[in-house]
Amino acid sequence: MINIFNIERFATHDGPGIRSVVFLKGCPLHCPWCANPESWDVEPQVLYSKEKCTNCQLCATVCPTNAISFVNDRFTYDKEKCNACKACEHACTQEAIEITGKKVNIQEVMDVVLKDVDYYNQSNGGITISGGEPFNQSEELFTLVQACKKEELHVAIETTGYTSLENIKKVEPFTDLFLFDIKHTNMEKLKKITGAHLEIILENLIYLTQKDANKVIIRVPVIPLFNFCEERIKEIIDLAYSIKVKEVHLLAYHTLGENKWDKIMKQYYSNEPMVRKEDLVPYIAYGESLGITIKIGG
Amino acid sequence: MAKINIDGPQNAEVSIKIPCEKSFSEQLFIMEEYTRVHKEGKHLDKAQREINCIKVLLPALFRQNETSDLIAGRLDFLPIGFGSVTSIGGVGHYCVFHKLRAFKDVLDNEADKVKIDTLYDYWQTNDVKAIYCQDVLNEETGRFIDCKYPFMATARLSGMMLDYKRLLNLGLDGLIQLLESKNQNAFISASIQTIQLLQDVIEQQKEKIIEDRKTADESRKQELTLILDSLTHIKHNKPDTFHQALQLFWLYALCAGAINYGRLDDLLGTFLKNDIQNGTICEEDAYRYLKSLWLMIENRRTTVNGRIIVGGRGRKDIEGADLFAKLCLRVCKDTRYVEPQFTLRISSETPEYIKEMAYDCIASGATYPTLYNDDVNVPATMYGMRVEEEIAEHYVPFGCGEFVIQGKSIGTPNVLINMLKVLQMTMNEGYDPMDNEKRVGSIHVPNLVEYKTFDDLYNKYKEVLNHYYDLSVKAQMHSYKVMNDHVSFLFNSILMDDCISREKSLLDGGIEILGGTNETYGNINSSDSLYAIKTLVFEDKKYTLQEINEAALANFIGFEGIRKDLWNAPKYGNDHTECDALANDLYEHAAKGMRQRGIDAGMGYFLIVISNNQTNTDWGLQTAASYDGRRSGVYTNPANNPQGGAAKNGPTATLNSLCKFDAKYHGGSVQNIKFTPRMMQEDKIKVQALFDTYFKKGGCQLMVTVVDHGILEDAQANPQNYPDLIVRVAGYSAVFVNLNKDIQTELLSRELYD
Repeated sequence: MINIFNIERFATHDGPGIRSVVFLKGCPLHCPWCANPESWDVEPQVLYSKEKCTNCQLCATVCPTNAISFVNDRFTYDKEKCNACKACEHACTQEAIEITGKKVNIQEVMDVVLKDVDYYNQSNGGITISGGEPFNQSEELFTLVQACKKEELHVAIETTGYTSLENIKKVEPFTDLFLFDIKHTNMEKLKKITGAHLEIILENLIYLTQKDANKVIIRVPVIPLFNFCEERIKEIIDLAYSIKVKEVHLLAYHTLGENKWDKIMKQYYSNEPMVRKEDLVPYIAYGESLGITIKIGG
Repeated sequence: MAKINIDGPQNAEVSIKIPCEKSFSEQLFIMEEYTRVHKEGKHLDKAQREINCIKVLLPALFRQNETSDLIAGRLDFLPIGFGSVTSIGGVGHYCVFHKLRAFKDVLDNEADKVKIDTLYDYWQTNDVKAIYCQDVLNEETGRFIDCKYPFMATARLSGMMLDYKRLLNLGLDGLIQLLESKNQNAFISASIQTIQLLQDVIEQQKEKIIEDRKTADESRKQELTLILDSLTHIKHNKPDTFHQALQLFWLYALCAGAINYGRLDDLLGTFLKNDIQNGTICEEDAYRYLKSLWLMIENRRTTVNGRIIVGGRGRKDIEGADLFAKLCLRVCKDTRYVEPQFTLRISSETPEYIKEMAYDCIASGATYPTLYNDDVNVPATMYGMRVEEEIAEHYVPFGCGEFVIQGKSIGTPNVLINMLKVLQMTMNEGYDPMDNEKRVGSIHVPNLVEYKTFDDLYNKYKEVLNHYYDLSVKAQMHSYKVMNDHVSFLFNSILMDDCISREKSLLDGGIEILGGTNETYGNINSSDSLYAIKTLVFEDKKYTLQEINEAALANFIGFEGIRKDLWNAPKYGNDHTECDALANDLYEHAAKGMRQRGIDAGMGYFLIVISNNQTNTDWGLQTAASYDGRRSGVYTNPANNPQGGAAKNGPTATLNSLCKFDAKYHGGSVQNIKFTPRMMQEDKIKVQALFDTYFKKGGCQLMVTVVDHGILEDAQANPQNYPDLIVRVAGYSAVFVNLNKDIQTELLSRELYD
């Protein structure tokens, strides 16, 4: 069984061609700008929409484990008590509550993914496994990539690279492309803001590029107050150059995930405006000078 | 007075018509004169009476040509006259009663108003459609368009696509000679007069051009001289040049009341190629002629017609035809008119540059060309219409997407069924919950408690549907009988196989393939409803049938939980195997049931079409809440597409669902899809791959609206800022802000892919 929170069909931004993206739940990082904060916890959880809620409190009434309660008419949710039975979601007539994430077996994932195989073949697309951090469920990931390869699908993995080298080595032979996040080149800053250890990430990255640099695209979420300055971005492009990676994607910070933070009842990153794609255009020439293709967006 | 209501709108009319050029008194005079000739012709043969009447209208109703026109011919029509279709005028000898009343309102002379009353009274018993309605309309069968009924019927001769090749090959004198070689029965004799009348029209056009030339500047004089020369030539001779061919085709189509034009690349491509090869014209000249044609077609404003079809199998001169198609694609992209409905037939043989140009045209937001897949539609037509491949290759979609064979078949959709209302009656002992009228014939529809299994319910539903299929065939056949009792449709008959050889008019046994179509609505709401009932009532046993019906009867007020469960049940359009299978089963029941009844009735074919103009919205307004979670009064699903908001798994899932219906059982089915300009441009290769895969998987048709996030919402709020925002409604395109609010809302509800 594998914990997923979405399968997006006709995805056009996460790898070549027409793809289906399987989003795995669970992530060891805690990037404050994350567009999918509901993916951090590996277990299913409640998403609550305050705007839709009429405070009828039916959800609390039907909850068999008392995970939901209203304190001073304020919705409160105790994730530890929740068994994701969906009684609250079914009871809510306003669609103010949904349970995100479900445990499914690998075959269920494959059944959905294989529905679009004709589109993959026509467009040189395939499956992208994203998250969360896919390696957070490394055994399940391993089973999934094997199942995909059995069906001769093109397999991409979008990863933070924050996992053991052993996991990477196991999955690598079944993977055609790694969309590998490099968020920062400063060890302390990365650790402080996201919780990740840069040396582990780099070790994995270098392993993969030594196996085949053409199977790696470096992706950089360009985030204000974190890495959005010329020096940082260039450092990452230079890193790509040094390990023979030929393509770097600059993903402009956007706030489209903000309402998800509201739904998990947490504070969002900042009030910073979105990064404009135009602001990233100058890096295309810089990449070119090093023989690297820079794409704005995926 | 008529016993039934014959007044009221008779077709979808979004584009505002250009008013008749003549003064009101001239218009009144013509209508009175037409009526007099019609009255006096009572004892004549119908063909002779028809041509006598048409001579009152032609060439009188031709209006001034515009200074931008590069071919001659603009024709007005009046509330009384002769025609084939309701989009311009009416059917046979017609009176459009609500337009005649409106005409009366603008008159200020009381004596003239009395004259109108006299005309109104006369036509109540003489308008061909009214005569038909008297026979057919009853408590189960409504007038088109009267949406309180589950079934509507009308008399019309929609979608005529004439064999203009015969016209261009023979020329007018040649046609007369051909007719003269036949037995001179009333039909043939009237046909000769018809062609002679067209020659009179050409003479009148020449006079107009000569008059215009007197005041024209030098460059316009040259254009007028070209037109004059072409008119002079084609009055007797077959055309030699592209311009002459275009001119002759156009005047004939106008006189015939034809508003769908067919495979013009096959018709005109060789003329174009030859003219360019021998230096008579250059491509830019041809481009200008076509641009002028585009404007003249737009100005006819038929809303749901104006089909020009290019591309596809079976064209004689592929090189010339593709050259023509290429120019059309340029014109279409540059003009961005809602008509002509520009249509591209594609196949595995279509050149890449044509596909590329078509994509760019669509991506520009023109909504055209609409795409038809020959690899699916040719074999489907062979089976559906029971014709050989070389005939099926000349299938053409008209109007909102019904197929006919150009020059060979009639396929007018004269009946329409609301399948969702039929389901609701099956759930309510035969009564429509919207108005509590019982409309199931003599069928016993039991109380819900008697449906012990899903199949009990489904089989009863099919039984009631069968009743309406029976009514459909009868009503369709009767429309042909009534039209044939009164008219010969001379201009149409002359250019349709096999009227001249058989010496018979279209509906008198002349037409080679007497087909017909039945528009079905609410198909997907019905199958989604059935699937929700099947799972929630009979499998999960979460609710009883009574509870679900009670909730729907209350329009779900106080039953939000039930509505949510119904709405969240699997829906067609999401590639859900079981749900789609039920949709397909219902589709095949309707399609096969209708087709077999047509064959049994002696028709060449009688096929359902899952097309749509705006009837899904109009009918939805008068359709009660349904068991798929749709509320009362809300639009029903458009054409063969999921209900707005129900497709939640992206375009591949929706297209996969759409591919599951086997095209060979229907006579046209249309599929809408909406993308943002960003996706069309930045992800072009992926979108192209999406379309290609869909077509390879058996997709028969696709039409694409390209619009940005929030634009439709903003246009609804600030219409003044969006005078040329074109959207694809279903079987037609329209300027968004000209649509009424309900239809705008339905369009907004459809998924936008980015």
